Amino acid sequence: MNPSDHVDVDSLAELKDIMEDEFDILIDTFIADSEAKIASMAEIIAASDAEELRKVAHSIKGSSSNVCAAQFSELARQLEHMGKEGTTDGAAEIFENLKQEFTCVVATLKNHI
Amino acid sequence: MNSQESPADVQESDEVLRILIADDNDSDRLILQTIVRKEGHTVYTACDGQEAIDIFKEQSPDLILLDALMPNVDGFEAARTIRDLAGENLVPIIFLTSLKDAASLADCLDSGGHDFLSKPYNRIILKAKIQAFARMRKLHETVQAQRDEIVMHHDRLLHEQEVAKKVFDNIAHPGCIDAPNIKHLLSPMAVFNGDLVLASRKPNGGMYVFLGDFTGHGLPAAIGAMPVSEIFYGMALKGFSMQDILREINKKLKRILPVGVFCCACMADLSFRKETVEYWIGGLPDIFIYRKANHSVEQFPSFNLPLGVLSNDKFNTETKVAPMAHGDRLYMWSDGILEAGNEAEEMFGEDGVKQVFANNDDVDSVFGELLEAVEVHTGKMEQDDDYTVVEVRQVTEESLGEYFGERGMSGGMVGGPIDWAISYELRPKTLRDFNPLPVITHLLMEVPGLRPHSGKIYTILAELYSNALEHGVLGLDSALKGSPTGFAQYYSERTQKLHTLDMGQVKFHLDHKPTDVGGELSIVVEDTGPGFDWKKKLDDAEHKTEGYCGRGLPLIATMCKSVQYLGNGNQVEVIFEWEADH
Repeated sequence: MNPSDHVDVDSLAELKDIMEDEFDILIDTFIADSEAKIASMAEIIAASDAEELRKVAHSIKGSSSNVCAAQFSELARQLEHMGKEGTTDGAAEIFENLKQEFTCVVATLKNHI
Repeated sequence: MNSQESPADVQESDEVLRILIADDNDSDRLILQTIVRKEGHTVYTACDGQEAIDIFKEQSPDLILLDALMPNVDGFEAARTIRDLAGENLVPIIFLTSLKDAASLADCLDSGGHDFLSKPYNRIILKAKIQAFARMRKLHETVQAQRDEIVMHHDRLLHEQEVAKKVFDNIAHPGCIDAPNIKHLLSPMAVFNGDLVLASRKPNGGMYVFLGDFTGHGLPAAIGAMPVSEIFYGMALKGFSMQDILREINKKLKRILPVGVFCCACMADLSFRKETVEYWIGGLPDIFIYRKANHSVEQFPSFNLPLGVLSNDKFNTETKVAPMAHGDRLYMWSDGILEAGNEAEEMFGEDGVKQVFANNDDVDSVFGELLEAVEVHTGKMEQDDDYTVVEVRQVTEESLGEYFGERGMSGGMVGGPIDWAISYELRPKTLRDFNPLPVITHLLMEVPGLRPHSGKIYTILAELYSNALEHGVLGLDSALKGSPTGFAQYYSERTQKLHTLDMGQVKFHLDHKPTDVGGELSIVVEDTGPGFDWKKKLDDAEHKTEGYCGRGLPLIATMCKSVQYLGNGNQVEVIFEWEADH
């Protein structure tokens, strides 16, 4: 696995500079927050609730972009778009990719702590 | 969450702001808060829209970073609420958003946001935006402070004008502007628009009305009002002629006003008995007479320069006379009414005025219709006070009664001379060009309660004095006045003889005593002439109903308790009895 496939490491280094001591807290917060959202997203997709899917995906899209996880953010964007179109058809497949991507992102981020 | 972070190393030259960050996403909020704090600002944080509103109320932050999509109250609604709470203060709101479509971004601005910041956050851009809005806030504060200062100055100016107006009112004579035959529209602060309306009864029973419009506005325009008012009332009540009053006002204004400041004016002398109006117009718009009988309108243009322009030797006091029957109306106005503009900047104009008369059915409602028409034209619901209009109705003297409209007129017999006598001897050089009647009338009007009778008294004095001067001292023959050519000859002789007069006297002896109901005034006028066969004259007078001469005595007899010639006819005594009003 190449870390830069999942996280823009240069930007992450910059973020680490800015955050200083708070960087660890930020990463922990991001991971905990995302885990909770991924868990709720599984239920939402099971319930085919497009509107809720849009909201949660939108939130993940924003926060993941801020920790430089571009691919993770992109998958969230695709789910948000589906929700906005009012459908959850095919969401499960993308969701699987998103969960997988999240695992890689977590690994990369933890490497930087 | 509501944590206040203390500012870290503040960069010099940058203002420390108090910034509220509202974002429901913990990690995003953490990043933003760290960046902003590192810029040296104080940070407050909120997790949703409601919390943002609460903190805003509590802390009044300088700037707000607001996530658009949040649970409970979202960013859009929070922005609207905060904008309402801020009132006229500028609180810049920057929306935080990962929305990309134009419609969503427009929503941010529509709901009261000033800008937006996209995720992922860029430190450089964020810093630039915060600085830009800090400058905007400062600019807004400066503008507000300057506006407040302007408002304060304006308020002070108005206050000063009110004080000055109060002083003016206290000094100025109230006159009879509220007489039942006068309607007028005059702003309470008109004196500072340069407009002035004065009205006074004359001792002979008539009425003077004066409308003045000074050039300019504010204090410079108001300065001239005081002397005009003082001269007008002082002289009118003493029985001075319109020419004398105008000449005096002109002289005063010419002397005190700077070049370029003058007073456009119209003065009218209403004779209720003769049913005429004598008028002088200098620089004001045409005056109108609206005839009750046939609803016709006559227009009389200005024929003089305004007051205060020419020196007195060039000043023209020539007046004109127009018939004005009872019930006819005279209209005078400042040019404000003609210049009243509508939205298309079209003036109301003379045509607008004429239209009102043309549409009128009832002469009593012209005045109201006129004001209404101006209102409709200008489209302003509130009465615009930039113009002045006066309507004077010709009435019978009786209907006006003893209305003088003066303060303290009916005050009763408190103070003032009531029991006295005085002699006043006029010698040739005085007789030549001095009119003693105003002085004598003024003296008599000091008697409390006598003023309502001033019309009669003035008439009596005028008649006795002209008899004594013209027939007694000058030896003119009143028979001359029987024909129009003789009339002219009479007056030319009078002028010529007066001019060269070097002997003879007229002596007034006045004696006033109080009675239970009022008073008794004895007027004796004596001249140094040869006298005449007064018994014959009285007999003649009783048979005479037409003609110009000899008219005075029977008229006087109706006004007095007694008229008696004494000696060889060069003395006449009149006893005038009067009752106080109350």
